[in-house]
Amino acid sequence: MPRTMRIVSLITLAVLCALGTASAQEEPGWAKGRPKANDEAMKMAPVPSFPVPLPADQLPIKKLKLPPGFKVEVWASGVLDARGLRQGEKGNIFVSTIFVANKVYVIPEAGDHKPKTIIDNTPLATGIEFHKGSLYLATNTKIVRYDNVESNLDKLGEPTLIYDKLPGGTDHSWKYLRIRDNKLYYAVGAPCNICDPGEWAKIFRMNLDGSGVETIASGVRNTVGFDFDPKTGNLWFTDNGRDWFSEELPNDELNVVTKPGKQHFGYPYCHQGNIPDPEFGWGKSCDDFQKPAAFLGPHAGSLGLKFYTGKMFPAKYQGAMFIAIHGPWNRTKKYNGVYVAWPDGKGGAKVEPFMTGFVENNTYLGRPADFLVMKDGSLLVSDDHAHAIYRITYTGK
Amino acid sequence: MRGLAGLALCTAALLALASPAGAQQAKPRSGSGKPASPPAAPNPYPQRFAALCAACHGANGRSDIPGTPVLAGQHMFYAITQLFLFREGRRSNEAMTAVAKGMSDADMQGFANFIATLPPVPAPPPATPPDPARMKKGAELAQQHKCLICHGADFAGGQQVPRIAGQHEDYLQMSLRGFKSGQRPGYTMAMGEALSRVTLEELDTLAYYAARFPGAQAAVGK
Repeated sequence: MPRTMRIVSLITLAVLCALGTASAQEEPGWAKGRPKANDEAMKMAPVPSFPVPLPADQLPIKKLKLPPGFKVEVWASGVLDARGLRQGEKGNIFVSTIFVANKVYVIPEAGDHKPKTIIDNTPLATGIEFHKGSLYLATNTKIVRYDNVESNLDKLGEPTLIYDKLPGGTDHSWKYLRIRDNKLYYAVGAPCNICDPGEWAKIFRMNLDGSGVETIASGVRNTVGFDFDPKTGNLWFTDNGRDWFSEELPNDELNVVTKPGKQHFGYPYCHQGNIPDPEFGWGKSCDDFQKPAAFLGPHAGSLGLKFYTGKMFPAKYQGAMFIAIHGPWNRTKKYNGVYVAWPDGKGGAKVEPFMTGFVENNTYLGRPADFLVMKDGSLLVSDDHAHAIYRITYTGK
Repeated sequence: MRGLAGLALCTAALLALASPAGAQQAKPRSGSGKPASPPAAPNPYPQRFAALCAACHGANGRSDIPGTPVLAGQHMFYAITQLFLFREGRRSNEAMTAVAKGMSDADMQGFANFIATLPPVPAPPPATPPDPARMKKGAELAQQHKCLICHGADFAGGQQVPRIAGQHEDYLQMSLRGFKSGQRPGYTMAMGEALSRVTLEELDTLAYYAARFPGAQAAVGK
């Protein structure tokens, strides 16, 4: 090989190596597994919500459909980015936010339901829970506690740090909290669409002071909705299935933990209990993992989950759980709504749509996120797209 | 120097002229429910834009002040996300933070609606013709990095995606570098992701190309 040609080859090789390194670097987790050659897939991106709430009279309330006898009304409008819902002992309703507002609001149960910001400038202020006078807040990096919060709504003061070892990041890092029997339940999602999640992709619980972290469930890609069955005490949770597998698969899962700490729900090896992952599934069998109780739809964006514990709704809803289906972004055909699910007593569940009508011309008018059962048995539903909170009542008419 | 002087002038003008939230109800945005009742008073935002924004951005939405983006032909959704990021103190720019700080939701909606009515203003003919090699490279990079998928084959954007055809090169360069370094927060994660694998040199070529964008025909075909 002549010297000049060898130099050219070396340079070409160097350039190719450089290009190769450059193209492999820093792909964000959510884009992992995306079919890069497909423009339809490349066009899909998370659906941004508008940074200004819709006025009350423009909310899609008249378009919503419910079973006979149920009614829905606007309970609060102008609640930018309304996501998690929890209630204090004195009737105050706390509302968390996710990507837009960076706030936590309080809305007193009585009065005009205007939100008041009590925590500000806090990105991913999403995981909230109220327990014995204190508001717990989990961001992607830490969990803190504000004591005696309902007496200090004008100035919460400095919170107590409970835990600061959450991994942070932007992929599946926002939180959802429940407290039961003096244990705080939370999850850390997979730091990607599809990857080896290492020590994450699990539901955990800890003592209320942040000590004694234990694993409750493994192989959970991203749960942002869970609650305890009041009858059995079992933890039921929604899990968002992997992206970019196909338009119609896999489904989001509804799961139930029956052996805390001992069950693996499949991620990243097996999806929806019966699809081995094309990359991570080799050498694994879906039979080695816990199967879902029910499917919730492809790329459904299944969020908040709450067992109905009120008395207003008909008897068939006692023991049922409501599930917020936010709706897919990486699926061409959009759908969403509030679903209801009944445990079948054999580890499975029957799922039905309960409130729909948020999609018009394949565009979201609203996106349900979380629930609160009010003392009168009515059900609040947050909407982080139209920035509102709805109230569902049963009148029988 | 011209830029700094312009910035100072604008800031002063803006601070002096920023008025409290108008009582005027902003126009409903498209896709929302039933239309609001017709406004009783004329829309104040053309005048407020002229008083508040035009000194820097130009009465028609295009000026030559360095680092000042062209607003002509920009979209309502994109404009309001940027006003929001400025107001909330997340996107940093002294002049714009001062402008946006006092805005109500209705103000942001009103200004964004008005900006969306400004027709695109083409860039004036360049003093020197574009470098064909660099333009060719820019077109290739735009294809390779999928810029056209969101910004459109004509780079006109839409919804939350801005028009970039004919935007000022210095502003495009600053924005692209800001997205890549994370210094400029996006309203969504899209740009951080899109640029994660683009080198700085390529970003500058893309800015050069988009600023001198020859039109959809040239970009797609020739």
